[in-house]
Amino acid sequence: MTDSQSRHQSRGFWAEAWARFRRKPLAMAALVFVTLLAAVALLAPAIAGTKPVLCRYKGRIYAPCLGYFDRRLEPTIFAKDRFRGTYPKNLAEKDPDSWAIWPLVFQDPHRAVRENEWPGRPANPAKDEGRPNRINLFGTDQYGVDVFAKMVHGTTIALLVGVVSMGLAGTIGIIVGAVGGYFGGWVDMLTSRVTEIVMCVPTLVLILAVIAIVEKPTIWKTMAIIGATGWTGIARLTRGEFLRLRQSEFVTAARATGAGPVRIMLRHILPNALAPVLVPITFGIASAILTESSLSFLGFGPPPPAASWGSLLNDARSNLSMWWLVVFPGVAIFLTVLAYNLIGEGLQEVTDPRLREARK
Amino acid sequence: MTSPLIDVAGLQTYFPVRKGLLRRVVGAVRAVDGVSFSIQKGRTLGLVGESGCGKTTVGRSLLRLVEPTGGSVRFDGRDVLAAGGAEMRGLRRRMQIVFQDPYGSLNPRMKVRAILEEGLVIHRLGSAAERLERMTRALARTGLTAAALDRYPHEFSGGQRQRIAIARAIVIEPDFLVLDEPISALDVSIQAQVVNLLVELREQLGLTYLFISHDLSVVEYVSDDVAVMYLGRIVEQAPATRLYAEPLHPYTLALFSAVPSVEPDRRRRRIVLTGDVPSPARPPAGCRFHPRCPLAEQVCRQAEPPATVVDGHAVHCHVAAREVEQAGGDAVAAAARMAVLMAANGSAVAMPT
Repeated sequence: MTDSQSRHQSRGFWAEAWARFRRKPLAMAALVFVTLLAAVALLAPAIAGTKPVLCRYKGRIYAPCLGYFDRRLEPTIFAKDRFRGTYPKNLAEKDPDSWAIWPLVFQDPHRAVRENEWPGRPANPAKDEGRPNRINLFGTDQYGVDVFAKMVHGTTIALLVGVVSMGLAGTIGIIVGAVGGYFGGWVDMLTSRVTEIVMCVPTLVLILAVIAIVEKPTIWKTMAIIGATGWTGIARLTRGEFLRLRQSEFVTAARATGAGPVRIMLRHILPNALAPVLVPITFGIASAILTESSLSFLGFGPPPPAASWGSLLNDARSNLSMWWLVVFPGVAIFLTVLAYNLIGEGLQEVTDPRLREARK
Repeated sequence: MTSPLIDVAGLQTYFPVRKGLLRRVVGAVRAVDGVSFSIQKGRTLGLVGESGCGKTTVGRSLLRLVEPTGGSVRFDGRDVLAAGGAEMRGLRRRMQIVFQDPYGSLNPRMKVRAILEEGLVIHRLGSAAERLERMTRALARTGLTAAALDRYPHEFSGGQRQRIAIARAIVIEPDFLVLDEPISALDVSIQAQVVNLLVELREQLGLTYLFISHDLSVVEYVSDDVAVMYLGRIVEQAPATRLYAEPLHPYTLALFSAVPSVEPDRRRRRIVLTGDVPSPARPPAGCRFHPRCPLAEQVCRQAEPPATVVDGHAVHCHVAAREVEQAGGDAVAAAARMAVLMAANGSAVAMPT
């Protein structure tokens, strides 16, 4: 072996794919955008909120902002001291020595900010008065709740819907497709028929029916249904890949070595089948976000106070003159769906050898 | 005489032909239809025949990579076809295979280390350190260095890939290797290196080979014995030197006449077979070669030729059987007569020089 060969870095399939992906400006921009959204979702309470990110109160340090993730995470001492959710004034009055690090934007996603809640700042305008301004970047809704804060906190839902439902759909789809494609025969017959039956279930109608029946409709149940009905395409694609790859010579070689079915499926076929399957999963994330937005727009979104981008659109329905209720969430949904589609397309281009050849 | 390492008797492998909505079985492709041979330890049997004659299926049936329909395969006295899961895994450690296409037989997502280590892990051979040592040794035997371990198959040339495939086969120290056209996918310049490597490995490791190929000269070089297959059957089988010196079966004669000669001055008569190989789904009655055989007689269309054995040289042909009998068991004389008959009756044309 020559010297240059031994020094060169051995790159596997995914490293090669990533190197090619990085040279695609649109797909990379989309990936950066989605990463940014994930950061926003994770840091939402630090970006917009009325609870301090960190504060020192009566000699101890607290992080009341965690209350936005789950009410139980908000330290009980503030409820005991009758803060009633208004931190700035109460902190100053009840402990003069206190200090606090505030979120970037002092606005609450669940309620309107009152007059002088932040020293010297007027109350949020309600009704159709609340067009975008310096304090309410994206305006306010009918009740004076800041749209920017609502959207920042709604990012979590938008991302979770896509990732969780497609995580579920991907898991079911890959398992069903892999088993059917690998074992063939009557197993394949069974899984294919089940897939076709599930394919006939209208997702939206099923979700509406379930929401009507169950006692507490939550966003998790919606995700579960999107996932439980959205795996069919993935299953069919996985099945096709497994059918093709189980005939390949390296699989025969693995069988000759003595590898069992589980080992062959996981170590030999799945890594080769994963790339084409990841593409529809990415597109599925986009369509899951759209499904959730449609549901919320129809008024079947997550129950208040949680707000998704789609339910903001629903608010706009009653007063179309409040254009900011349409534009900002609409653009956010559009950009996110577009980003996932661009990532999916980029993934397809960098992993599908046929497309790669065509472009050379 | 010691018992053979591998003993195959009446091996049959049929592939069902399914048709219609319910995918009912309407027939069977008889890829392998009654093949028998045995190989002594340390020896090599060459299996030749044109494409589609079932030679690859024989190799895969021995390792049960395709399930045989009938017959028996005994490896070191043990019944391979009856072996259950654990016993089969044990046998798989001792019987390995090298495939034709080194681009298809190595998993593109696995590094060479993972490819080689898999067999060691499955068969629980050695600790991590010992495994590394075994892998390095197997690579060294095939002419590669341990630097190859951290590379992917696509970083190697075809010849190097085939060396990796051979290393994978020998790393678990088997006794028997099926070599399924191991050089036909390689560049001609590489073929000789790989053949020599295989011969070296056989000497060093005491391996037993089933060498499947359509390349007659390579088979002659590598094999101790040679079997010629036609349409799922072995038509002639003999020690290599004798088969090449005194071919008796008309099909073998036709095959040999198609081998390009390295002596351009020597004018040879090439026997051109007319017609195509019949479908193995509906093999002809009697001798399977009769529709294309220039010497076919009435009996060939009706009765399957039994084996005629002249000290270790077996041939399945009615005409050859008669010639052997007339020559008083002298295979050399019979072979000469067969060649004359073929030249006279075959639609023979002079080889262009």
